[in-house]
Amino acid sequence: MTASDIPGTGPMREMEADLARFISAAGWEEPAAQARGAEAAFSDLAIRSFRIQCDTIPEYGAYARHVGRGPGGLGDWREIPPVPSSAFKEHGLSAARVGDGGTSGGAAPASPTVTFETSGTTITRPGRVHLTSTHLYETSLLKSFTRHLLPDGARLKMIIFGPTRAESPRSSLWFMADRVAARLCDAPSWIVEHGEPRWERADAELARSLDGRVPVLLLGTTLLLRAYVERCDRRGLCFALPPGSRAMDTGGAKGTRVELRPDDMAASIHRVFGIPRTHLVNEYGMAEMGSQFYEDTLLAAHERRPARRGFVIPPWVRTRVLDPETMLDLPEGRPGLLVHYDLANLDVPLAIQTEDVGAAAGNRLTLEGRLPEAERRGCSLPFEQFLERERGARAERAPGVPR
Amino acid sequence: MTQGLFDAFYLPPEVERDAETSVQRFGPPHDAIELRLATVTPASIETWVEAIRSARAERLARRPAAEIHRVLERVAQRFLDPQSPVRRNAIAWLARSGRFSTPMIERALTDTFGPLAAGGVSRWVASELGSAAALDRPTPDRKGIPRQACGPEWMLQIYAGNVPGLPVWPFYSALAMKSALFAKASSQEPVIAPLLARTIAEEDEDLGACIVVAWWKGGTIELDRAAVRRAPAVLAFGGENSTMSIARETRPDAKVVIHGSKVSVAYISSASLTRAGLGSLAARAAFDVALYDQQGCLSPHAFYVERGGDVGPAAFASALGGALESLRDGLPRSEPEASQAARVQLYRAQAHFEEATGSRGTQVLASSEGTDWTLVYEDGARFEPTPSYRTVRVHAVDGVEEVEAALAPAARFIEAIGLEAKGRERTALAAALAAMGVPRIAPLGALQSPSLVGTHGGVHRLLPFLRWTTVETGPRSAGPRPHRPKRKPGRSR
Repeated sequence: MTASDIPGTGPMREMEADLARFISAAGWEEPAAQARGAEAAFSDLAIRSFRIQCDTIPEYGAYARHVGRGPGGLGDWREIPPVPSSAFKEHGLSAARVGDGGTSGGAAPASPTVTFETSGTTITRPGRVHLTSTHLYETSLLKSFTRHLLPDGARLKMIIFGPTRAESPRSSLWFMADRVAARLCDAPSWIVEHGEPRWERADAELARSLDGRVPVLLLGTTLLLRAYVERCDRRGLCFALPPGSRAMDTGGAKGTRVELRPDDMAASIHRVFGIPRTHLVNEYGMAEMGSQFYEDTLLAAHERRPARRGFVIPPWVRTRVLDPETMLDLPEGRPGLLVHYDLANLDVPLAIQTEDVGAAAGNRLTLEGRLPEAERRGCSLPFEQFLERERGARAERAPGVPR
Repeated sequence: MTQGLFDAFYLPPEVERDAETSVQRFGPPHDAIELRLATVTPASIETWVEAIRSARAERLARRPAAEIHRVLERVAQRFLDPQSPVRRNAIAWLARSGRFSTPMIERALTDTFGPLAAGGVSRWVASELGSAAALDRPTPDRKGIPRQACGPEWMLQIYAGNVPGLPVWPFYSALAMKSALFAKASSQEPVIAPLLARTIAEEDEDLGACIVVAWWKGGTIELDRAAVRRAPAVLAFGGENSTMSIARETRPDAKVVIHGSKVSVAYISSASLTRAGLGSLAARAAFDVALYDQQGCLSPHAFYVERGGDVGPAAFASALGGALESLRDGLPRSEPEASQAARVQLYRAQAHFEEATGSRGTQVLASSEGTDWTLVYEDGARFEPTPSYRTVRVHAVDGVEEVEAALAPAARFIEAIGLEAKGRERTALAAALAAMGVPRIAPLGALQSPSLVGTHGGVHRLLPFLRWTTVETGPRSAGPRPHRPKRKPGRSR
């Protein structure tokens, strides 16, 4: 590595600027309708970014070469080798390293501005994602969030069913909430403090919204929102929030003991908050990715059309659906293993192999649910359970889904 | 034979008449089978429990145990006999439900029912109780004290569906100790329990009157509660989350045995690693991995292989890979769900990542196609369960101490250790491994065929549920001894 390749300098920041420009300019049309040029631009940027990542993230470079897909001679973004999401566990899979002082060039890498902890996959312990710059993350986030949660240009008071960023500095989700609160919303309030949900605070905020006829944006994990909704049901509380109020939930029941049906959740949100299904937006994301996927329920209502099923794949992200046996691309609509290519990832590999199963058609992604473990397995130890215990203490400290 | 509906429940004829049923589709959407299920409500659970309780009092409690055991042995024989319609029907429906390949199902039935036929039930009962007659009347035990064993009035059993045949010995244990049986089948394997109940009822109406097999969705709280709260005895299999909630609901005086989630591992001493024996050793190891696709608690997930033998751990890994490859045809794997295969792929990619970047000499071997088998070789012991479906780790180790240290934090999750060693070395290694509290140590190739005379999860199959009556005869002469002051020597006149 030469001094000019060190993160935070030269080519890296130039790359970042090009990626940010692409994300900012990208149109939301279906890929088929996208200009051939946009596809070529995506591929060029992805390959350039991959080449830089092979240098700046040495383990990733070693892996790429090991699987015969080194930085040279790539013709298409599909040839970029995806890194297994589990590899964030023990490896420094980020261009920025904590405590990695000296380098060959003598200049220290820029200290990371954020470090996210991944929830870990079902087969690994949590990993870490270090970002020297959150510029791409924020560019992607604000563009997607505005489109899917604020298509009407509303500026809303925000109630976050979660902790502040200061209390949960390793969570990408609460970082995201913090950025949205700072940039797109007004008067945020946080319901979780010192690891405890302060439900009275939610009661008071919602009552205030009701009294002042001020619509609100609720944002939280599916689990925390559900816990609050259940508490309201027990106490006979409900709030007919002013029109224009909306909610974003995320995480589903991942890594937990309860089974959540999206329809039940939507019915509960409607019953307790008066927020209709059109104004409930589910989000799918992971700490390893700078970009997120949103449902288009609210956007569709705004555009006076029916919502489409699934999540919208942002135009700066490509999702491949592979046959989990052969690892070959499946025809559109067939469910398989998901691999994401995200141009908002520069400090960490842009191509991520997940263990999630879903299907893609056009720019739509649908996720397949999993059977609850208790139903599926018997006396064989499911390793997720084995690891869940190891994670247990952490999960209790930080409510919701760490990611 | 497997066209149409499968009756995935069993009720004694008297209650079946009044039961409502519904049909549900089961299995993957493109290849679902239709199951007829009895509609379960808290009230129907109560009715059924009353029916088997009174049937037990009238038709089971006073029958000679040996007679019941013979019925059960005849039933086992019917599941073993290749010509028997019972066996053929079971194989056909288990294959239709799609979790395991036909050769695997045949093997499962043979392994499960084999030890129960031809006097097997009597031997098993005698091994735990001393004598089957102790279930009928006070019978002198080894010290000559007359004791009688009484099974619970009825038992609630909750099955898991990970391996075919899992419900069989629990089913037999209840009836063998003259207890009525309320069985909750598994949604993953809804076939064997109702078939077994029906075959027992065909063979012996009185036993059939004491059995209910039903299914409801796990975690349906009012149904779980209605069954669990009444039960004087509960035997449950399943993950920690589901079994913990069962344990919370049981009667304080209930006899409860819960088998949670476990895996197995194997240890191979350097002395067993000979050039001549390598092929057979690898074949036995591969068989233990392949049978039931690592869905059961007896499937090995890791092989700890000592360095310093005639052939090294890496050569063993390579031979094991070869043996797994040949079992692709010999003992075909069932196709995993997409999410399972996705996990195997992630596990493989992670292993390749370690191969490229790690310092443990990691090497990945894998099936020529698909996710059929995956083997990750590395230096040094550690323990982490794999995503199953024939995914194993082979660790090169210097000795058993290294393995003890790696397994110690997870020892309670380990059901069995396959041990390959001979003579005194085997005794010493077994002692070291037994000291960790692992319930079973068995030769490689036999990990999946536990003896009924042994324990399951370190717990006997009958004893935990029995109540004993001891008939004391007291001292020879009745009443307190008359006091006779001793005369002290020297005081006599």
